[in-house]
Amino acid sequence: MLPGPLALIAEITHRCPLHCVYCSNPLQMAALCSELATEEWVGVYQQAAKLGVLHLHLTGGEPLARTDLTQLVDAAHAAGLYTNLITSGIGLSEHRLTALVRAGLDHVQLSFQDSRESSADWIAGTRAHALKVELAPMIRRSGVAFTINMVVHRQNLDRLEEMIALAESLHPDRLEIAHVQYYGWAFKNRDALLPTRKQVNDSLRIVAVAQERLAGRIHIEAVVPDYYARYPKACMGGWGRQQLIIDPAGKALPCHAAGVIPGLQFHTVREHSLEWIWRESDAFQKFRGEQWMPEPCRSCDRRAMDFGGCRCQAFLVAGDAASTDPACSLAPKHVLIEEVVARVNASSGSADHSPQVGEKINSLWSYRPQPGQ
Amino acid sequence: MPLPQDSSQPRLASGCRWTGEGDKRMLLFPEGVLKLKGTGHAILERCDGQRTFRQIVDELQGLYSASEPEKVRNDVGGFLERLQQKRVVDF
Ligand code: SF4
Ligand code: SF4
Repeated sequence: MLPGPLALIAEITHRCPLHCVYCSNPLQMAALCSELATEEWVGVYQQAAKLGVLHLHLTGGEPLARTDLTQLVDAAHAAGLYTNLITSGIGLSEHRLTALVRAGLDHVQLSFQDSRESSADWIAGTRAHALKVELAPMIRRSGVAFTINMVVHRQNLDRLEEMIALAESLHPDRLEIAHVQYYGWAFKNRDALLPTRKQVNDSLRIVAVAQERLAGRIHIEAVVPDYYARYPKACMGGWGRQQLIIDPAGKALPCHAAGVIPGLQFHTVREHSLEWIWRESDAFQKFRGEQWMPEPCRSCDRRAMDFGGCRCQAFLVAGDAASTDPACSLAPKHVLIEEVVARVNASSGSADHSPQVGEKINSLWSYRPQPGQ
Repeated sequence: MPLPQDSSQPRLASGCRWTGEGDKRMLLFPEGVLKLKGTGHAILERCDGQRTFRQIVDELQGLYSASEPEKVRNDVGGFLERLQQKRVVDF
């Protein structure tokens, strides 16, 4: 029988006080009035736990923008789920954190945009950095597992050592150095965000040194960005294989960006049970397993490792969701990735601006707005 | 990183916890889950922040009396060191 999912990624709202230029939210965001109500989410968590889900990732948008967050954590914990809060920190107070921990919160992942306030706020399109730095000791004291997530790209990768030093000073258990993934707003802003080959190579060395130095104190997780890797990432651990995403309006997706793929019909938890969506719905079956695979994946030894890469990237870059992920060096359309990489490496590389919040440097990029704007 | 000292008291790291009973007993942590059987399970169940590393080794020696004491000590120490690097155990 088909195994159930292990993790549920709940995008409980698309509202967010930040406007990150690499946000993975879709260009068409769900508005406040369409959001699932508290009891609808509670029902989803209970169904998820029955299906075998162990981890719940509460994300957004900014999950703290939901005033019922503590109730949601409480219900998830009662259902037996391990609860992760993925947050920018904006909206977190000592009082609220205490309530969340009491409700059973297990882990907080706090994201940073840079080591320097001016650049961090420039990326986020709002003032947020200083507050995050203030929040860290409070999270550390609260007893939950604490991860810092540094999102890296061309505009900040030259400061990676400084970013690692900032993280170190805040004493997390884990540090994730996450390269931007090119979906949603990041795809729109790709030419300004994609790092150069030199930056990627330097960053690998910096990470290796830090991993050795911090072993036993901070576990550092970092992966080579797929535009520079030989093989694609095992997106979502395989389509409809381990994880599912539910968007603020209750729409279930096999991958963050799956909404862009034409011809797929996604169902909501308002109309169907989670079990039916997982087992029976066309969208989840479409790219599950190996039946759908074209060559070269179909006869490739790596197909059980990377599942042919990301379907959304295949669509966004190559125009065909059922083709080999163009990030793969064996893909017939790999040239499309090579062209972007070549263009970025030929251009001037990173910029060391002293930018103003909200300033669009020569329309370098588009900020993510609020849903409904 | 050094192995635990005799007097160190290994415990689960922040945000790592047990769930389930019997066959379904698992250790949950931020990025995953450990389903342990046998020795690994016997060691981790003893990482309660009370027992010392020395006590844990002695108890394991009692369970696996056929093994050489030095080997048991190294195996338990190495196992805890690996889990400390994953931030699942602290000592
Ligand atoms: S990436 Fe930035 S804008 Fe998008 S949800 Fe996260 S904090 Fe908000
Ligand atoms: S050809 Fe397909 S299966 Fe093989 S490495 Fe590339 S994406 Fe993966």
